[in-house]
Amino acid sequence: MSNRLDLNDVLPNKITIWKLRNNNPLRKSFVKNNIKVNELDALIKITVEMSKYLYPYIREILNSKEDIKENSIIWNDFNKRFIELIKERFNVDSMRVKKLLNQAENDEIIIKFLLILSFSISNQGYQKLKNFLYDF
Amino acid sequence: MQNKLTFHQSSVSLEIIGLPDYSNNENKDQISIISQWKLTIVDKPLIEGKIEHLGPIMDAFYIYSNLLIKNEIPIYESKLIDIKADNLHIHNIVLKSSKANVKPLVLKIGNSLLSDTINCFDQLNESPKVRIKKTFITTNIPKKLRFGLNNKVKFFNLFIPPLIAICSLILFSSTFIYFYSPFENIEEKELNKF
Repeated sequence: MSNRLDLNDVLPNKITIWKLRNNNPLRKSFVKNNIKVNELDALIKITVEMSKYLYPYIREILNSKEDIKENSIIWNDFNKRFIELIKERFNVDSMRVKKLLNQAENDEIIIKFLLILSFSISNQGYQKLKNFLYDF
Repeated sequence: MQNKLTFHQSSVSLEIIGLPDYSNNENKDQISIISQWKLTIVDKPLIEGKIEHLGPIMDAFYIYSNLLIKNEIPIYESKLIDIKADNLHIHNIVLKSSKANVKPLVLKIGNSLLSDTINCFDQLNESPKVRIKKTFITTNIPKKLRFGLNNKVKFFNLFIPPLIAICSLILFSSTFIYFYSPFENIEEKELNKF
């Protein structure tokens, strides 16, 4: 994907992306590497591209939550996987991570994340996502 | 013969009908003079209107979606359209007709249809074949948000000009700076005594 987006200089391989992910202070493997502006931009571009690709799935998850009585399987699977990933990779002692894991509170956060991604699939999605992130 | 362009996103499609502006030497397939538009949401009544309604409706959806994400109160009210959140998943849209004795059209859409609609509007905005003239509308954005916006602007206007002035003064004066050394003066005075 980085080839297609012409991001080879910033993200030459998967290891670079893996290292950049570790700048997230909520992760267990958090390392302060001082992420550069072009690296942040590259991550945003990749996220937008992934959102375009995954839009039908994102939409289905949102739709599943709307009529949870009839169509709860997709939402429940997604929520379960989301919590598994958070427990596996994030620092569960952090208060913010605990909030993500709390099933009574995390619905709103997950829906907002999904909405942000679904609103950012246009050609101007990079700028939109960047604005959303700065305002978050 | 009018041109027709359709933008699709999953369960929503937006149809734009209009003509090119030949006085601007535009291409035959361009639409600059929009005569009609139709927003089709699956299982919902058709929404259609004149060009002067399209801009305000698009703005309403964009502002509402921003409020929804930014943890603000998701309420948008105007003369033409109201959008409120029933809960986290359902959004209540009230479209008010400009004609007298016509009841407002009430729609309830979920997050999936809301994002489809926003993406249809994005496609229209980004399309090189359609040119939309922005219209001014009066809206009732929640007071909390308006207050926030005003505050941001005032804060910026208040502090940035003096900050720039101080920075430029320091930069300018640093070229003529003279370091006063009291020890040198004492030595000079002592030498003068002898």
